[in-house]
Order: sequence, then C-alpha cells, then structure tokens
Amino acid sequence: MSTALALQADLDRSILATGGRRVVFHCHHYNVFLQRTIEEGLKERAPALLTAAAMETARAVLNGLEASSPAGSPAAILARAAELLSANGFGRADAGGLGVRGGEVEIHSSHYAVGWVSKWGQRPSPCCFFAAGWFAGAVAVAGGLAPERVDARETACLAAGADRCSFSVEVR
Amino acid sequence: MSIDERAIVEAVSGLGFAANEEGLIPAFGLYLTRHFSDYYNRISYAFLHDYIRQAPELGEDARELLQEAGRVCAFNTFGGIMTSVEWDAVVRPMIETREDWVRGMVAVVNALGWGRWSVHALQGGERLVVRIADSYEATGFLRDYPGSDEPRCFLATGGVAGLMNLVYQGDVTARPVFSEEYYVEVFRDARSFRAHETLCIARGDACCEIVAERGGD
Repeated sequence: MSTALALQADLDRSILATGGRRVVFHCHHYNVFLQRTIEEGLKERAPALLTAAAMETARAVLNGLEASSPAGSPAAILARAAELLSANGFGRADAGGLGVRGGEVEIHSSHYAVGWVSKWGQRPSPCCFFAAGWFAGAVAVAGGLAPERVDARETACLAAGADRCSFSVEVR
Repeated sequence: MSIDERAIVEAVSGLGFAANEEGLIPAFGLYLTRHFSDYYNRISYAFLHDYIRQAPELGEDARELLQEAGRVCAFNTFGGIMTSVEWDAVVRPMIETREDWVRGMVAVVNALGWGRWSVHALQGGERLVVRIADSYEATGFLRDYPGSDEPRCFLATGGVAGLMNLVYQGDVTARPVFSEEYYVEVFRDARSFRAHETLCIARGDACCEIVAERGGD
C-alpha cells in the first residue's frame, strides 16, 4: 500500500485517519447487521441512502488525499480508490474498466457480500451499496464532477448468486 | 491494576491487520474492515431522522435498533477478540480477576479508532461506567448537525452492554461458541445488562458516558 494511504494514528486519543477522515475498525457482523436494519427500516429508500452516503464518504476521503498527496492524474485517482478499498478489507477491486466517463468495476470477495452470505446466506438482490457509492464518488473526484452527475449500481452480486460483484458507473 | 493499557494498544495496533490477496482482513474469526466513520454516522443518523419524521415516537424504536447493532457488534467482535490467540498472547497474561477481562477489552477498543474509552467505575457483575473521549459517533454527529438534546452514541451504548453481558451474564472466559442461540441466552434474559448514555458530546457534555446495569432491578 502506498504511503499516502497509510493510517495516521493518534494512539493517545484512539483516533485513526486516512485522507483526514476518521477510520474505525468494524467487523462484518456489525456492517451487515447495521445495513440490514436500515434496509428493513427504510425499505425502498435504503439503497439510495446507503449509496449516497458511500459516495459522500469517498469524495471526502479522496479529496482529502488529493489535498495532501496528489495522485497526479484522474486514472491515478481511480487506481488509488480501488487500492484503498481493497487495503481496507472490502475485497479485491479491479477498476481497470473505469474512467472519468464511468465504466465497469469488479470486486472479488466483496466484504459486504461475503459477510452477508456467511451470516445469513444468499439474498435475492445485490447488497454492496458501499462499494457502488465508493466508485461513484471516485469518478466524481477523478473527473471533477458534481456528485449528482454520477450514478452507480451493482449489476451482479456474490450475495445474490453471482461469482463476483460487478458495478456500473454512469456519468450524466 | 494488572492491565497495562498502553502495552495492549501498542501490541494490537502493531498487528497491522493487512488485507490478504482477496482484499479481506480475516482476524479473530471475523472479517474486519477499516471503515470510515463518516459512512456509519451518515446512514445511522439519517435512519434515525427518517423514523422521527414519520412519527416522533418512532425515534425510540430507531435508537433501540441502532443500539442492538452495537450489541451484535460486541457479541461477535469483542467475543471473537477475547477468545483469540492474540488475546491469549497479549492480554490474558495480565489478567488476574474477572474485572480485568472488562478492562482488557476496553484497552483493545482503544486500538480500534473509536475514541478513547476508559473505565470510570466497575462494580463487578453489576455495573460498568465507561467514559469516552472523541467518540466517533458524537464528534461525527456534531460535524453534520447543530447539536442534540439526546445522546447519540448508539454503537458505544450497545457495545458497553454487550461487554458486560459477555463477561458476567455469559462466560466468555469459557470460550463459548458465538451462535445465535448463545446470543439469545446471554442478551435476552431479564437480568441481561442494558446500557444508557448519561453524558454525550453531541449535547454539549465534555465527554460521553455509558452506564451498563443489569435488567430486572
């Protein structure tokens, strides 16, 4: 992992950060339980909230990294986004098909999908809202785009029976 | 006191928790993530406010659901940690009493980025008071909202109750299997610990404070 992505740690205050944003360790049990709570509580409104929150998070983190350690190009920003997602335990991401005009991403062993299946088995619909929103935010940062111009959705999910998770990012 | 918190924090932080070739971080029998507090706070507080918008009385339901997520977190994460080889290597040699299991786990929490937890009071088997500086929930809330009349550390509240249930209602020292059945046994009993937040940075207090006590009293 590149130096820019390393955790900054203040052990006296128990604060960790990347790109100036706080990082916290949590396990799949909490992650998928919290997501299921929100999906069951908000029903059809949940996917938009979960995806938008992830997009907002990605924009804050990646813009923070750009401010302190510029990646150098839009392609490098997207590569950094994929590297950070993988390094943080969300699954090995292949973002080679992604550019500032959108594109496709694949994640092998996506954390949310693997966690969901290990806890509750398969589900009928995709569950990796965080990853979808993360890459939408990455494209917005790489392309200097207003967030409302970028949409992302998961087109296939390990938790719904696919062999990997696939995402489509579109720029309007 | 036998628990050396600094040594524990440095040892756990030194583990690194790097992702494997699959991009996952398996540890303590779990899949860990280095996640962003911005995300948890955004989805949790939006969920709470959505419920309150539907009907103010639903706010209590939302708070209870978010605290339940904290209890599930404690059961699995704290339980996994306290039965791990890393615990045996780093923390267990310092343990002299049952209360040290609580103090040891609080020390480990301080390597997780959640803000600094400290045991303010512990009456073994009956009551625990944890104070938290720089709680990621409360500080995140304050960044996005003007403040609150209510406490906002739902994960921490569930987590403190969960820790007491693992140590005193169940028996984590006996290395139980962390199954759904065991969760019900330990967390759904009338005497299971419940927790509430008595101080919170989000409402203007100097720190956050969680009090866990037995139910049924």
